[in-house]
Amino acid sequence: MDRDLAASSLPVPCAGRQTGTWAWLEERFSRRDALLKIGWAFFYVFLGGWLLSNLRYLFPNVLYEPSLIFKAGKPEDYPLGVSEKWKKAQRAWIVRTPEGFYCLWARCTHLGCTPNWFEAEGRFKCPCHGSNFSVQGDVLAGPAPKPLWRCRMALAADGQIVVDKGRLENRPDRRDQGDFLLHA
Amino acid sequence: MTQDLKKTKIWKSIFRHDFSDTPRTRLQRVFGNVFLHLHPVRVPKDAIRIVYTWGLGGLSFYLFLVLSVTGILLMFYYRPTTIHAYQDIKDLAFVVTLGGWLRNMHRWAAHLMVVIVILHMVRVFLTGAYKPPREYNWVVGVILLVMTLFLSYTGYLLPWDQLALWAVTVGAQMAANSPMVGSEGPFQLPFITPGNDAKFFLVGGTIISDNALLRFYVLHCVAVPFLFLIFLSVHLWRVRKDTFSRQTGEKVDVWPHLVSRELLAALLATVVLFVWSLVVQAPLEGQANPNVTPNPSKAPWYFLGLQELLVYFDPWIAGVVLPTVIIVGLMAIPYLDLNPKGVGVYPRMERRKLGPLPIWYPAERPFAVTVFLFGILLWFALIFIGYYCRGPNWEWYWPGASWSHRHLSKLTLKNLPNLWGGLLLAGYALQGVPMPKRAKDRIAGRLGPRAPEALSGALHIGSGLLMSAALFIPLLTAPDPDDPLRSHHATLFAALGRATNAPLVSACYRLVERVGPAMGFTLIGLLAATMGAMLGWLSARCAALKDRLYDDLGSVKYAIVIALLLMMLGVLGKIALRLLCGIKYVISLPAFNFNI
Repeated sequence: MDRDLAASSLPVPCAGRQTGTWAWLEERFSRRDALLKIGWAFFYVFLGGWLLSNLRYLFPNVLYEPSLIFKAGKPEDYPLGVSEKWKKAQRAWIVRTPEGFYCLWARCTHLGCTPNWFEAEGRFKCPCHGSNFSVQGDVLAGPAPKPLWRCRMALAADGQIVVDKGRLENRPDRRDQGDFLLHA
Repeated sequence: MTQDLKKTKIWKSIFRHDFSDTPRTRLQRVFGNVFLHLHPVRVPKDAIRIVYTWGLGGLSFYLFLVLSVTGILLMFYYRPTTIHAYQDIKDLAFVVTLGGWLRNMHRWAAHLMVVIVILHMVRVFLTGAYKPPREYNWVVGVILLVMTLFLSYTGYLLPWDQLALWAVTVGAQMAANSPMVGSEGPFQLPFITPGNDAKFFLVGGTIISDNALLRFYVLHCVAVPFLFLIFLSVHLWRVRKDTFSRQTGEKVDVWPHLVSRELLAALLATVVLFVWSLVVQAPLEGQANPNVTPNPSKAPWYFLGLQELLVYFDPWIAGVVLPTVIIVGLMAIPYLDLNPKGVGVYPRMERRKLGPLPIWYPAERPFAVTVFLFGILLWFALIFIGYYCRGPNWEWYWPGASWSHRHLSKLTLKNLPNLWGGLLLAGYALQGVPMPKRAKDRIAGRLGPRAPEALSGALHIGSGLLMSAALFIPLLTAPDPDDPLRSHHATLFAALGRATNAPLVSACYRLVERVGPAMGFTLIGLLAATMGAMLGWLSARCAALKDRLYDDLGSVKYAIVIALLLMMLGVLGKIALRLLCGIKYVISLPAFNFNI
């Protein structure tokens, strides 16, 4: 029993370490075998590359999508509260508070439906899975994981509000300052 | 004249045999015909009995053919661009001769195909036809089911109406929420953006527009049917090669016995579809408007279960993980079910008594049949809730109640504190732990012969009580984290007790208000203890079954089976927690989008 243990745990003694490894390699991969394996490897690399290139083909480089920037009229057009003026055309609410303006992108952060504004409850409610948001955009109920996004706003030279739906922010500390809150 | 025709070289080159009804021609018709040669020449009589198969597999195939033909005809009038698509569908409905009828037929055949494919799966399950050597064909069948649903999903966008756009918006957004490859999912990679994530790949852009319509058109009309045909060939071929699950009865000729039944089934389906398409118009809502969502916005019925599921869990859990688990779980059934009994027969139901209740008990495959049927029922229960119980803003309306868009309601949902939620889940997972035979023997050896049973009962009731405590203690005592910014209430109890959507908590709240805190909380504590003990007692009743399952399956298969089972029941539990107690998430880790 002792001899069996020794035989299985110790390397088999051979003439020299280097020649041993070499012999083992030769035995494991013969020249013919190695060439065959390299050949197949090239085949699979080619096949994989071809499939990947077709996958890349399916990602378009140029998109013909509407601009995310729009002009929302003059600040004095908006009374205090939530304005639904731009919801149908631009999918955004302009909200005026005593501090200033912010623009909420009307896209539920859950799965992308357009919520509706309910003045009586003071909530945005989503028709698809029932998420509720406060007027600030915070989640009050339902499955939405994040607050509504706010869009970057600026005043153009002609005095109109410019909204950029491509620049978004919803972190409570960042969204009430800088470009995301337009001071009245 | 006909006799002369039959003597011509041309006739003989096409038809290689005569059509007189002799045993020889009966065989020749089957193996001399490319369309019929997938059939065997002779089959066991009982394998083709209508009350055994109900012709469901053949009907699915026939509906696929109907959908291909009507689909090809519809393609002649349809252009997949956002300016034309909706108008073309309107033209089909009102201008093209028989266009509306063809569209109806395509739509209703698609719905029917989903029903028939699901029923086919249930039939194959009930008759044990997935057991060796037919395991792999069951897997192929599940792939075909998924493809049927994907064909329905891609076809749904093509009319470019509101229903289409919003069903697909939600479906595509689930892709954006998938882990790693989605730009809004968990485990985000820095180079995955809305401009190159899985949703972008699916819809060919950042919004659902022309690219998406074209992609879905190609997928619906060419790519998926092509793959479907490949898998379908394998499926039919394997039915032939793996033999029928029912082998009793003398053998009869396929022509005319099986072929006539197939013809009858196809005729029946055709009549049903004809009448259905004449009487009921396929719905078409207003033209798609990417800025306005209909309220409520409901998916087609076969996806409503998924839509309802999305209400209870984070999108990547409900939309990616759970569907994957369901599909893989279905595929795994033949490899997990080692019980060799019940092949080729419907489960024999024995009448037994469960306490005072009479029940029908599938004697040979009690666990498999019960769990599978429960899963199917659960799925259709979700569909029922989505279809009949959800109104504007996806709020709960009882079936038949009238909807009001101006109905004042303030939905209030609160998370359980994570620690308590974790305890609740731990208690729940404990219910699934078995007591293997070896452990039982050891305990019996050390503590006496009655000890294992007593210990197992104590553990089950203990974990039931743990779950109940982990639910009620935070509900009654935890502070409301939203106070004072978004809530006027200091505790969860007050917030949910005054809400309109948490009947269990508000009943407790009113109880405390009416009889005073000392009496009220005592009563609630008693209620909680009773609930926990009952839950524990129920699972203790299943302990013997669980232990037997563990000894039969071994640890790995048992773990998979019990995990699938606990997930399935867990969905039900989560729905109850949400609808009765107003609990949003049991555990919420926003950093990983892990909200369950």
